Parts: sequence; C-alpha cells; structure tokens
Amino acid sequence: MNEKYLWDKSGKPDPQIQQLEEILGALRYEHRPFKIPGDLVIGRRRSYVPVLAIAATIALALLAAGLWLRVQNQKAPQFRAEDARPTVVPSGIKENVPKPLVAKDESLDQRPKELRVPIHHRKSAGNLLAGNLSRVKYSPEPDLKPSERREALIAKGQLMMALRLASEKLNLAQRRTQLSSPANLLRNQHKVG
Amino acid sequence: MKSLSTRKTRLPLVALLLVLAATLTAKAQGAKIQLNNLDHLAARASQTVDVNIDERLVQIAAKLLSSVDADEKKIKKIVDGLKGIYVKSFEFENAGEFTPADVESVRSQLRGPAWSKLVNVTSKKDGSVEVYLMLVGDQISGLAVLSVEDKELTVVNIIGPVDLEKLSQLEGQFGVPELAIEPPKPKTKN
Repeated sequence: MNEKYLWDKSGKPDPQIQQLEEILGALRYEHRPFKIPGDLVIGRRRSYVPVLAIAATIALALLAAGLWLRVQNQKAPQFRAEDARPTVVPSGIKENVPKPLVAKDESLDQRPKELRVPIHHRKSAGNLLAGNLSRVKYSPEPDLKPSERREALIAKGQLMMALRLASEKLNLAQRRTQLSSPANLLRNQHKVG
Repeated sequence: MKSLSTRKTRLPLVALLLVLAATLTAKAQGAKIQLNNLDHLAARASQTVDVNIDERLVQIAAKLLSSVDADEKKIKKIVDGLKGIYVKSFEFENAGEFTPADVESVRSQLRGPAWSKLVNVTSKKDGSVEVYLMLVGDQISGLAVLSVEDKELTVVNIIGPVDLEKLSQLEGQFGVPELAIEPPKPKTKN
C-alpha cells in the first residue's frame, strides 16, 4: 500500500483507495447557497385548544361552586327577625327597634323609576327578612348547624333584651344617684334660699 | 432520677392550678342568684320578661354578633367572657301584687360577703334601685341589679367580667330602645 497517496495523494495511486474514494465521494461536502423550500409554510397557526380547555374547566368549576353554594343556602332554614326578638317588653321602654323597610306606596320609593321593581314582582316581606339575615349567616359563623343557628338567634334576641334591661336599670340608678347626691341638694337649697 | 424529681415538682404545681381554677369557677358560679322564688309572680303579672342565658348560649349568641358592624362589635366586647345572663322582670296592673318577702328572697342572697353594694337609691315615690357587684381582686365577676317599684319588680344578674361603663352606654343603641324617661320639666313660677 502506498502510504504517500493515502497521506497527501502524492505517490502512486492505490486502486483500492481510489475505489473507496469513488464510493464515499457521493457523500462529500458540497457548498450550496441557502434556499428556502417553496412548500414551507411560514407562521403556522397556533393551536387554541389547550387554552380553551383550561378556560372551560375554570368556567365549569365556578359554575359548580355557585350551584353548590345556592343549594347550601336553600338548605339553611329561613328565620324572621321577629323570631329572635322576645315578645314581651317591660314597661317604660319605647319600642324603637327598626323594622324592615318594605315600600308599599310607590310614591315613597325614592329610587329612579327605571330601578324600581313593581310590588307584585318583589319577594314577600318574609323572604326579604330572610335575605337580610343571610348576611349575618355568612359573616361570622359558617360552622353552625341549622338547629344551633335557630337557638343562637333566639339567644341573641334574649341577650339583647337582657342587656337592654341591665343598661336601663344601671342608668336609672346613676340618674337617681346624681339627683339625690349632696351636691345637688346643696345646689337646690341655694336656689330655694 | 431526674424525671422523678421533675414529676415531684410538677405534681403540686398542677394540683395548685387545678385548685385555683376550681376556686375561680366556683366564685364565678357563686355570682348566680336563685331567682326561682319569683316564678309565682308570673301568673299575676301583666308583662313578664324571663331571660336565662347560660355560658354556652352566650357563646353561641356571640357568634351571631358581627365583628364588622360597630354597634354589634361593642356588644360583642361586653358579652365576651360572660358566663351567664339571667333576668326576671314583672310588671303588674296594680300595686301590691308582690310582697316584701319576694324582694327579700333576692336581697338576702346579695347580703353575703362576696357581694358589695355599689348603689342603693330608695325613694318612696319611685321605689328603689340597688346595684351589687361581686369582685375577685380588681375584676368584676358578677353584677346584680334589683329594681323595685310599686308595679314593677326587676332583677338582673350577669355572671362574669362586666364592663359597667360600656354596659350603661348601650341604652338607646343598636335597636336597644331608650328608656322613656321624660326630662324634668322647667318649673313654672306661681
């Protein structure tokens, strides 16, 4: 084997190497300018399927949560404010307890006409009361059972009544003490004298 | 050996704490007045208020009080820590429907050393109002108000730490009706 030909093609050519060169010559590097194929589509359309699927899942989850809350709300018993208020009122007390406002006369409704709802389209007063109380339900005690909640409402009414009486009597004692204090007696004596 | 010594020191401490807790509970429970003696008056009364709220009910009712609303927040602060609220109030059509013995059945319970009389206003015309406090150290652990008029008998008993100032400020707030006491009329010259 002529190694010079193998090394730098300077010696006598070796037929075996020449044959190999011919076979592998097809794979030789050929410099060509860069060409973009004509059938290539530039800026292919993006697929929105995954995004849509995610959005649909979120929407479904929200819908399900809304339905669940509605069902839970309907399950809770509806109470009227009157239930919580004790029926007996001691003497000497003015009943200033605010009552739910239900405008019976259209002329009393101060809202713009377009915002008014005809009376026959409104919910009944009982439902309105229950609606007001539902605010109380969500604010502080989500873990009360319906029976406990009813008990709590009654207890709250009684508590208010008891505190009202206690406050009233304390103030009465305070007023009477002030009226009968020696300072007042002296003042009165001075006025008389 | 070490564990034995720590156990030896821990046991008396736990026992002491238990005794302290029991004493405090007993003291708090001691603030409760027996009002059953007045029950028979309900039959004669034209109006009766009977409120019995124990610690559990106070806690449940407090849960319904909003911590956002300013008025309810005030009430929640007053109610917080209370162990019970008991009220009996009778209003009669005529005078003399209840006897001094009825009043005495309540007053006698308030004569004990645990109670101290804070206010006692007596008037022949308007009756009497007595305010009693039960103190543990500097803290109020019970309040009792006994109001006696010709046609009305009211007993209020609150057990637990009561803030008297806050309680007296409640009148007329949060749908709590104001007392219908007319202001004194100016004297006219004869």
